[in-house]
Amino acid sequence: MERSENLNYYELLEIPVNASSFEVRQAYRSVLSIYEEDSMISDAFFTDEERNAILRRIEEAFSTLIDKSQRAAYNKELTAAGIIDASLLEKGKRKSKGPIPLFSLKKTGGQESLFARVKSLIEKKDFTEVSEEILSKNLISGKDLERLRKHVGIAVDEIFEVTRISMKVLTAIESDDVASLPQTFYLKNFLKAYAELFKLDSGKVIGGYLENIARLNNNR
Amino acid sequence: MARIYAIGGGKGGSGKSFLAANFGALFARQGHNTVLVDLDLGGANLHSLLGLRQVKKGLNSYLNKSVSDLSAVAVPTEIPNLHLISSVDCSLEIGNLFYAQKVKIIHAIHRLPFDTVLIDLGAGSTYNVLDFFLSAHEGIFVFTPEPTSIQNTVQFIKAVYLRRVKQILKHYAFSNVVKELAGESEAGLVRSPLDIVDRVMIKDPDRGKLLEKELRKLAFKLVLNQYRKHIDETLGNKIEKVCNRHFYAGFQFLGNIAYDERVHNSVLAKTLFVNKYPYTPTSTDLKQVSEMMLKNAGKTPSAIGKYGEV
Repeated sequence: MERSENLNYYELLEIPVNASSFEVRQAYRSVLSIYEEDSMISDAFFTDEERNAILRRIEEAFSTLIDKSQRAAYNKELTAAGIIDASLLEKGKRKSKGPIPLFSLKKTGGQESLFARVKSLIEKKDFTEVSEEILSKNLISGKDLERLRKHVGIAVDEIFEVTRISMKVLTAIESDDVASLPQTFYLKNFLKAYAELFKLDSGKVIGGYLENIARLNNNR
Repeated sequence: MARIYAIGGGKGGSGKSFLAANFGALFARQGHNTVLVDLDLGGANLHSLLGLRQVKKGLNSYLNKSVSDLSAVAVPTEIPNLHLISSVDCSLEIGNLFYAQKVKIIHAIHRLPFDTVLIDLGAGSTYNVLDFFLSAHEGIFVFTPEPTSIQNTVQFIKAVYLRRVKQILKHYAFSNVVKELAGESEAGLVRSPLDIVDRVMIKDPDRGKLLEKELRKLAFKLVLNQYRKHIDETLGNKIEKVCNRHFYAGFQFLGNIAYDERVHNSVLAKTLFVNKYPYTPTSTDLKQVSEMMLKNAGKTPSAIGKYGEV
C-alpha cells in the first residue's frame, strides 16, 4: 500500500514526468473521479479524513504541475533529491499533445487521404512502359494486372478502399481464379473500374482479360 | 490436485451463487471435471439454481461421518462434468460451524478428486466465510455497481486482508506485535488492516518487510456483476487501481457481466442462464470471464491461506 503522502505528484497522478499540461489535466480529472466525494468508490474505502487528505494532496499536485514556474521549481526539487532523473525531463520532451479537433482534414487513415495517396502515386509514377506492354498483348491475365499494381506500389487492399471492389473479387481477378470470378456482366464493370484507376484503355483490358479467361476455360 | 476458486464478497443478491453455477457450467463445458461446493452455510440454495429439487446427501453426511470421503456426497447435475456438494441437508445451526469442522471441510475440499472446485460463499464476513475464502487458490470478489454493494465488498476485502495479516503475524510469532497494537486501540475495536501493516512497518521494519512479502503473494480477482449500460465502464478498473494502490496484495479486474432481465426467468425455470440463453451479452461476458479465470490457472499454484500448505 502506498500512502499518498509518500508519492510524488507525478506518481500520484500516474503520469510521466514530461507529461504535457493537457495530460496533467486529464490525469487530474480521472484521479478525481475515483476520490471525489460523490464517487462510488472512495466512500467504501476511506473515512472522510483519509479522503480529504488524499484530495488535498491531489489538489496540491494539480495546482503545482499545471503552473509552469511552480512545476519547474518542483522538478528542480525532485532532481536535487535524486528522485527523478534530469535527463527524463530533457530528452523525453515530446511535442505537447493538444486537443484533437473534431473535424480534421489532415486526419490520417481516413478514406480521403488514402484515395489521394493512391491517386498521387498513379499521377506521379511513370508506368507507361509496363502498361503499354500489357495492352499490346492479346491475352491479359490477372498476373499482368497484379504486376502493374505492384510496379506502381499500391497494395491490393488499397485498391479495395478506393474502388470498393471486394477483396474476394480482387484476389480472384488477379489470380485468374475462374471458379470464384463474378458473372461476366459484373466482371466487366469491375475490370473497367480497375483499368480506369490505372488510366488504361478499359475496352482493351476487358477484351484481353475475357479472352484469357475463355482460353483457361477451354484448357480445363 | 483440484484448482479451487472461491466466490465471495458483496451483499446478498449480488449474484455470487449465480456466477458460481454458471462458471461451473462453463468450466464443465470446457471439459473440466468440476464440482460446486455450496458453503453458504445456513442459506444453501445452489441446488435450486442447478435444477435439483431435492438433494438427499450433502455436506452433513460427511460431517456426521456417515460417509468417510467428501467426494462421496458430490451429486451429478444435468450438465455433464458438473457435480454439486450441497449443504442443504445440514442443520439450521450450521452457520455457526466449529473450528475443527471448518478445518476438516477445508482439508477435504483440497483432497477432492476433481479438476476444478468452485466454492460458493454466503454474504457477511464471519471467520468461517473468510477462512473458506482464504483456503482457495483464487479468491474472486463479486460486486455490483451500487454504492451499497461496493461498500459491502470493500469491507469484505478488508476483512479478508486483515484475517490474512493476522494469520501471517501469528505464523511468524509476531503475536506480541498484534497484542501491543490491540492494546493501544479501544477494547474490542479492531483497527483498519492498513493501519496494522503500517504500524508493523514503523515499529519493526524487518518484520514489516516479511509481512509485505507474504501479502504480495495474495492475488485476488474482481468481477463486476449486473453491469448496466449507463454506468462508467471503467468502474471495475478504477476499483482495481485503488485496491492495488492501497493494499499490498495484487488485484485483477476480470470484467463486467451485463445485467439481463432474463436472469430472473432462468432462476424461476431452474435452468442455468448460460444454457437457457447462450447467445446473449450476459452469456458472452460470463464466457469471457471464465476463460480469463482458466487462463490464469497456471500462474499461482499455491493456495492463498495457511490451509494451502496441507
